[in-house]
Amino acid sequence: MRGLPSANASLHVGIIAGLAFLLSPLLGCSNDPYPPAKEGEKVLYSSFIDAPRTLDPATAYTTRAHAITGAVYDTLLKYHFLKRPLELMPGLVVALPERTELGDGRVRYRFELREDLLYADDECFRLAGLDRTTREVVSQDVAFQLSRIADPEVGSPVIEPFSNILGFAEFGQRLTARREADPKFILRPVHEQYAAVGGIAGVVTPSIQVLEITLHRAYPQIKYWFAMEFTTPVPWEAVLVYDGKEGRPRFDDHPVGTGPYVLVEYDKQARYVLERSPNWYGVRHPEWKAPSAVFPSEGDEEDRRAGRLEYAGRSLPFIDRVEVRREKESIPRFNKFLQGYYDASGIIKESFDKVIQEDALSPEMVARGISLGKSVALDVFYIGFNLDDGVVGRGRGERSRKLRQAMSLAIDVEEYLRIFMNGRGVLAQSPIPPGIYGYRPEYKNPYTRVDLDRARTLMVEAGYPGGIDPTTGEALRLTFDSYDTSTAGMTQVRFYTSAWKQIGIDVRIEATNYNQFQEKLRNGAYQVFQFGWVADYPDPENFFFLLWSEMGKSKFGGPNGANFSNAAFDQLFESMKSRENGPRRMEEIREMTAILEHERPWIELFHREDYSLYHGWVRNVKPMGISAPTYQYRDIDPARRKADRLDWNKPIVWPAYALFAAGVLIVLPGIRTYLKERQ
Amino acid sequence: MGAYVIRRLAYGVGVIVGVLFLLFLLFFTVTQPDDIARRALGEKVSVEVIEQWKVNHGYDRPLWPWQDWDDNLLFEHYRRMLTFDFGVSDADDSPIIDRIRAGVGPSLSLTVPLLVLGILGGIPLSLLVAFFRETYIDRTGVFLCVLAMSVSIILYIVGAQYLIGKVLRWYPISGFDADLLMLPRFLALPIIVGLLSGIGGDVRFYRTVFLEESTRDFIRTARAKGASEPRIMTHHVLRNALIPILTRVVLAIPFLFTGALLLEAFFGIPGLGSMTFDAIQANDFSTLRTMVFIGSLAFVLGQIATDLSYGLVDPRVRFE
Repeated sequence: MRGLPSANASLHVGIIAGLAFLLSPLLGCSNDPYPPAKEGEKVLYSSFIDAPRTLDPATAYTTRAHAITGAVYDTLLKYHFLKRPLELMPGLVVALPERTELGDGRVRYRFELREDLLYADDECFRLAGLDRTTREVVSQDVAFQLSRIADPEVGSPVIEPFSNILGFAEFGQRLTARREADPKFILRPVHEQYAAVGGIAGVVTPSIQVLEITLHRAYPQIKYWFAMEFTTPVPWEAVLVYDGKEGRPRFDDHPVGTGPYVLVEYDKQARYVLERSPNWYGVRHPEWKAPSAVFPSEGDEEDRRAGRLEYAGRSLPFIDRVEVRREKESIPRFNKFLQGYYDASGIIKESFDKVIQEDALSPEMVARGISLGKSVALDVFYIGFNLDDGVVGRGRGERSRKLRQAMSLAIDVEEYLRIFMNGRGVLAQSPIPPGIYGYRPEYKNPYTRVDLDRARTLMVEAGYPGGIDPTTGEALRLTFDSYDTSTAGMTQVRFYTSAWKQIGIDVRIEATNYNQFQEKLRNGAYQVFQFGWVADYPDPENFFFLLWSEMGKSKFGGPNGANFSNAAFDQLFESMKSRENGPRRMEEIREMTAILEHERPWIELFHREDYSLYHGWVRNVKPMGISAPTYQYRDIDPARRKADRLDWNKPIVWPAYALFAAGVLIVLPGIRTYLKERQ
Repeated sequence: MGAYVIRRLAYGVGVIVGVLFLLFLLFFTVTQPDDIARRALGEKVSVEVIEQWKVNHGYDRPLWPWQDWDDNLLFEHYRRMLTFDFGVSDADDSPIIDRIRAGVGPSLSLTVPLLVLGILGGIPLSLLVAFFRETYIDRTGVFLCVLAMSVSIILYIVGAQYLIGKVLRWYPISGFDADLLMLPRFLALPIIVGLLSGIGGDVRFYRTVFLEESTRDFIRTARAKGASEPRIMTHHVLRNALIPILTRVVLAIPFLFTGALLLEAFFGIPGLGSMTFDAIQANDFSTLRTMVFIGSLAFVLGQIATDLSYGLVDPRVRFE
């Protein structure tokens, strides 16, 4: 019997240890993913899916990159936060640029930087030889950044629009030639290389505050590029020091800018943190009341109702710190938003019906104090026809035009939006989305609605009665080239092909990867395709250029995938693009839209509609429709957030004890039986 | 023993060289550099930018030595991998070795507790079910194990995030913080999921081993000498069942460094598993190549370490 007490005791010890082990995590359990914030500190909590490839403002061209670069790098011009359509206003400059016609089609823009602008504190200045950690922003820094865009080795994706600057392309060519001719040249600091080849002819800095840009042809849209981080002042010291060598970070990951926030922590796999910059001119000189450093006082009725105008004239920014955590999966991200750990969120497809009911927030969401923001993105999605093609293209004249018109009338875009996008989209009537100059809400394109009878009549007129191709005696066969091979993508394309089947057309899907698709576009070996375009800036030129013959895909490698070439359209486009907004420009846009309506190079589908959710403690949320920074305008009520979080996240512990009790109940009889047998 | 180790290492080198060649075929001949570049740079970039990217990443070289003996992708691939000069990520140009260094810590913080708790939980549980063999405890245990093994880890993850993270609110649904005070909070849920998904297989395996050992002659002798059942299980059965247990454990050790792919990815732990998962999603082939290479290296080393460990726990094993 000696073994019995010992076995008994060890079992008891085991049970107690197991109990302690199982329940120990629960003793201090909490689902709060954040350490406590400092008392009174205003922290905005947000998330990101993947870190951007680069934060270099010359190359960063994605929304996720702009979420950081837009906060860290300030721009010469800014968009008005409240006015719609979007309107430019001075940013780092004292006034909007002066435009001067120089003759021969050349145009000059003169920017005057504010005095006493400083970069955020950074060691690069000391490492480059200065005796402090910042320095004044000068116009030469903007010229340096423009040179970086022109530098082929930087690989900026926006060389094309800047090629309107006099001597821009030549600068890149001179640089490349010098680098190839002299291997030692490339070892020199890059700002010295730029200076050695003479800079860009059309970029002049008469003083440290003044920058003059000369265009060799009129391109009024250039001013929008100065509201994007591509043209932000960049200190040469940062580019020199942050080369990724000897343990130094790369400039791609270590921005040094002039913006209202500084990137103080950047772990691409897990989190990044932005903190208010004490060097930002809005913080250092609130007395200036600079237009981009105070909350705007002009807004619409909706701004007044939302209480945004109560902030009018107050100095920016309101948020001290922005904590952004990586959240790759949409469901956890959305659930954390519902728990109050993220301040804003989109709506995931899986929860859409729970959140939105009858096009408004569900009572459950309203009870939580959540509000809904809707905005139409400045984009357009469309089905394009390759007009160089022998069947759907211009070669068959009126026949193919009627075929395209018939195919337009078969697509039910509303149904598409309902099935695939939870109805989040606005029917496109033309390439221009709402919020862009030239958009006419009253305009209804007669070919963007479903009319199968009319479509069948048009098929007869096109020479394909019942969809039958008289040359083969079978259904007219076309191909739809898609670069989305996923199941979801194929289902969406099948929606279109099924629609066309109703008028007798047999459209086969050819799905390839993106590069093979691009290759087909370059070679002109395609008939029908779907594409989308997101605006770089809020101007109709940025949409209509997609149909300008000089942008033809097959001939010039441009984004005009339809290879649309229409002399009247081109003439109107060239006039419209260099004209300021006004009645004449509006008339030109109307005429261009009419040409597209009749010619049908595209079937305009939709403009995406973004639905965003915000907790009740978040103030001043107004989507811009384009990738523009808005952190500095936001405000939060930390006390309300703290109270709501506590209320929503009380742990429910009893199931742990119940589970453990169930385990014990299963095992105990067996142990008792064993002990009895031993006795 | 020295000759044995050298022979095993030589086999290992052969396997690695073969794996590298297969990797080359897979990553360089099947996929076009243009695809990788387009994925990394976005759809709006021009052809010139794509070409510059290919030059910057070395993808402009010929594939095979007979095309250019001095400068070709095959030799460069071998040189880089065998010297651990992994280059930069195709997705964001960051040095891969830096990302590996940064990812090892988070991976180990998850996989080491998982392994240790898996052993500490799995062995006593298997001893318990083996101890109560052919009783309802054994049958219930085996049933629960088969049930646990039959459920996909994805279901465990989603279920735990919903039930424990969202409904019961015990731990954060996902995330990571290296701060020692915050870390246990973030690791609790993935560890629970990892244990639940692995415990069924572990217990079934250990139970079988223990039951096999418990029918041996020396166990019968011990029982005849009056040793108690708990003593027989812990002193005689467990000790003699160490070889298969050791095989399983030692083989798992090298993979602690490569992380837990799905757990890290779904719980947002920035480890090497998550890094591999991201690389798959982003067509980041340079990172993927590196991780596959490290995985195969870990496997070969794990095999050798397992063989050597037999000699440590069983004096009967001789290396020849």
